[in-house]
Amino acid sequence: MRKIIGLYIVLLTLVIIPTIEYAFSAGDEPSEYIDRRALIWNLFFRMMTVAFVVGAVVSGTLIWLIFRFRESNPKAKPTKYEGTGGLDQ
Amino acid sequence: MSGHSNWPEWVYIGVVVALLVWVGAEAWNVERIIEHIPEEAKVIKVTGQQWFWTFEHEDGTKEIGELHVKKGIPYKFEITSTDVIHSFNIHDYVVLMDAVPGRINTVWFLPFDEGEYPIQCREYCGLIHYNMRGTLYVEDDA
Repeated sequence: MRKIIGLYIVLLTLVIIPTIEYAFSAGDEPSEYIDRRALIWNLFFRMMTVAFVVGAVVSGTLIWLIFRFRESNPKAKPTKYEGTGGLDQ
Repeated sequence: MSGHSNWPEWVYIGVVVALLVWVGAEAWNVERIIEHIPEEAKVIKVTGQQWFWTFEHEDGTKEIGELHVKKGIPYKFEITSTDVIHSFNIHDYVVLMDAVPGRINTVWFLPFDEGEYPIQCREYCGLIHYNMRGTLYVEDDA
């Protein structure tokens, strides 16, 4: 549990707090001209990058999981319940 | 189950939460910046009705179906409708805002390239919705 709390502290320091600070500080100056075209499309491409990376990681993990733990894998070991009827009880 | 370690699950939850926070903060921030209208922006009243757009400049001049603006000057559109819901769209400048009867919606933009750009209604508003178009003319201020 201590390791998990430590991990959260690291994540909080590295990612969450700077993001929130950045969000609250930007765009406060009056008469600041922005190129909405660039901002909106950049946001779109960043979000698409996140979506595709997450999609690749999740589907990749699933593919690996299914391939690694298939019954026909030479490395597959039966669980301690298999053949005992333990699963039926 | 004794001896079972669930730290990968907590790592997974942490990463997902961090990603969601980041995505939410980014989107919220961009929206916030975009909605910050410059004080010196010139107001153009935009009225949608079946099936054309009317534009009224600050000096009272009106245009129908076409809109002339100067390059490098920020404009604030005050958008409304007289009949049904329309949606005012200048695709090339990523301007998109609903025109709702009895309500004024605002959106601002800065034209920075001379040229002609299509204006189109983006909310199905009846038989001739497809042809509820206009043209934006961005001209040099000099």
